[in-house]
Amino acid sequence: MSTEAIPAEKPKRNYNALFGLTLLALLVLLWIILSVATPSFASANNISNLLRQGSMIAILAVGQTFVIITGGIDLSVGAVVGFATVIVAMLINAGVPVFIAILLTLLVGVAIGMFHGFGIVRMGLPPFIITLATLTSLRGIGLLMTNGNSISINNDAFQLFSRSSFLGVPNLFWMVILVGIPAYIFLHHSRWGRYLFSVGSNAEASRLSGVNVQRTIYMAYTLSGLCAAFVGVLLASRIGIGNPTQAEGWELQAIASSVIGGTSLFGAVGSVHGPLLGAFILATINNGANLLNVNAFWQRIITGALIIVIVYFDGLRRRGK
Amino acid sequence: MTSTAQELHPAPTLEPGRTILELKGLEKRYPGTHALKPVDLAFKAGEIHAIVGENGAGKSTLIKLLTGVMPRTSGDVMWEGHPAALATPHEAMALGINAVHQEVVLCRHLTVAANMFLGEEDSRFGILQQRAMVRQAQKIIDDLGFDLPAHVVLGDLTIGQQQLIAAARATVRGTKFLIFDEPTAYLTRKEADQLFTLIRRLKGEGVTIIYISHRMEEVFELADRVSVLRDGTLVGTRTISETSEPELVRMMINRSIEQIYHKEHFTPGAAIVEARNLSGKGFENVSMTVRAGEIVGLYGLIGAGRSEFVTTLYGRHRKSAGQILWQGKPVQVNSEHDAIRLGMALAPESRRDQGLCLNLPVGLNLNLPIYKRISNNLLISNAQEKTEADRQIADLRIKTPTRNALASSLSGGNQQKIVIGKWLAHGAKLFIFDEPTVGVDVGTKAEIYRLFGALLSKGAGIILISSYLPEVYELADTLHVFRRGKLVATQGFRTADHEEILTQALAEKQEKLGGQT
Repeated sequence: MSTEAIPAEKPKRNYNALFGLTLLALLVLLWIILSVATPSFASANNISNLLRQGSMIAILAVGQTFVIITGGIDLSVGAVVGFATVIVAMLINAGVPVFIAILLTLLVGVAIGMFHGFGIVRMGLPPFIITLATLTSLRGIGLLMTNGNSISINNDAFQLFSRSSFLGVPNLFWMVILVGIPAYIFLHHSRWGRYLFSVGSNAEASRLSGVNVQRTIYMAYTLSGLCAAFVGVLLASRIGIGNPTQAEGWELQAIASSVIGGTSLFGAVGSVHGPLLGAFILATINNGANLLNVNAFWQRIITGALIIVIVYFDGLRRRGK
Repeated sequence: MTSTAQELHPAPTLEPGRTILELKGLEKRYPGTHALKPVDLAFKAGEIHAIVGENGAGKSTLIKLLTGVMPRTSGDVMWEGHPAALATPHEAMALGINAVHQEVVLCRHLTVAANMFLGEEDSRFGILQQRAMVRQAQKIIDDLGFDLPAHVVLGDLTIGQQQLIAAARATVRGTKFLIFDEPTAYLTRKEADQLFTLIRRLKGEGVTIIYISHRMEEVFELADRVSVLRDGTLVGTRTISETSEPELVRMMINRSIEQIYHKEHFTPGAAIVEARNLSGKGFENVSMTVRAGEIVGLYGLIGAGRSEFVTTLYGRHRKSAGQILWQGKPVQVNSEHDAIRLGMALAPESRRDQGLCLNLPVGLNLNLPIYKRISNNLLISNAQEKTEADRQIADLRIKTPTRNALASSLSGGNQQKIVIGKWLAHGAKLFIFDEPTVGVDVGTKAEIYRLFGALLSKGAGIILISSYLPEVYELADTLHVFRRGKLVATQGFRTADHEEILTQALAEKQEKLGGQT
């Protein structure tokens, strides 16, 4: 019926997959270069270490991506991680069973996310502002609760978790898979995932189409808070302390991972595999730079340059389409 | 052509009557549409040249090409005899080509004076000469006879006043060629008069004016010549004294009204929705009933409260008073959700702002209201998502390569089909169409009207909002006229004539504009 000749256009999903493959190729290329350039990179020990380093940012980046897809931003995640280490440490030291302590900590993350949703939906605050406010206040609350001290966690089993491996793969990386698979299904195969995209693309059109925009926003920030609290638990396990000043600047790393992974800060564009790859690319660069004895200051500059290059090329391709 | 008022200001460069701008085979293609088929047209210096045509005829495309907003696909533009690339808006402005758009594109948060001089600020040693600029702006405004202050923030003015400022701004920039794109759409009669004075004055100064409008009476009042576009083709150019309104309409439409306005009559059934003395932001005390099988048309000027009324009915905005009855029972519609659950569907006024998620796939847009139905508690059924989207694409003949193409890549008409299509899969008893054919080509228009018939035959009711009188006139079984937030008149199918309805919508007697003598 519609017979007018239309230039064939690449469907969007293919494009996403293609971009994912490009990122994967970049990651593999980095690994190959580093394996050749340094003797220690390819060692089992270093790879495990790399996976551990990348895992936590990767999980943060997934939560962050949900928020960015709606056109928002969550600057609080680093502070939530630090705060969560304090909560879980205090609960465990107070004799609460580890499982319950973790659950309660996750609930704290959910509550913080709900608060963000409340600020945005009910108070009409811009996401940038409300999460920035939480960022500074949470650090302050954590410092008040701990008097500025670190809390050592008196539970060896809890700490052992982050250091152990399962089937030769660090437990922390298994956690990425544990978060990544449901996140993928949620984002790409559930209607709530579709709503995240539609709200990020055009909130008014979504609302008029019967999408509950407010609930969708609540959901995005809640998931981000939940991911951050979960990372806080993992970090506490890894370093064995609760300290509100931990994870300084992680929010920016999470955002960077997400953006490198193809998420558009304008909303409505993003995936789950992209941010994961982005986080491990960043971790690889840091790890490789350490091994190559590159000044740590340079690492930051390289990260910045990489963000510009990748996002620029991604933008070029999207426009060229 | 004309040479009145030449003694006041000498013509900028060319003597009147010489060709200032010539289009040679100018053409524009978008993916999926041929928006402008090769156009040859010469504009004479100092003339007012009207361009008329239906929505989607290619008028806005032509403006975008001339002002450098978009690159042309092929063809040449000769400016004062030399080829001009017109690749950027800056280049167009440097030549002296300016446009006043239908929707004001100025900075609402800056003052009137700051807007007038935006980009050409008067500064001394890097310090803005604010007071001097306000004085100067005020002088220009007074000079033009607009009664407006130059020091206030632009956003505090009405849309019509902002439009006048936009026009004034264009005049201070050494403009030789000024395009007005439906400038009177938001203006009151008085403001329109002021604008016309300005336009005549510019013409007197030798500026070439392109005047784009739907309103025939304005064309006949202002223009020296008129060109007609239809479906992207230039149908012809006429000297205004040698043509008539019926001739222009024939050229614009090229088919009888019956052929476009496909109208099926059904015996109205039970009332679907009834508004009783409904008031809200932008409208008050509106009562009407929509019955199964009938189209209720709402006519009025933009800003008359029609959209506000339907969005309130739809739960988007709160009502301040009155009652809504759904199939005879009083209901509370507190959110769009409530409305949709009852069985209302809204195809909103602005595709871009309210209708579509432009940077998402066609399929997602079509399925947005029905994701709940095509997913179990957790997962979306991929198969159903595909069939539902493909069915709408086929049924409505949406021209898209696949359902995964982005909505933004489609033409206006096809985008509109998505806005409507998403509610067809969902199903509803009451369909509200707010300006469904703006920016839609004639063929699609006819398809949309046929669709109305199909919906009515299934027992649905339709509210049709249109600012285009022939549309509501030919389609509506009951026609309500809105003016300034009030429902001022009601007619049956074709019981009043155009002029009467227009008068009801305008109310202020058509002083000097109305008559085409």
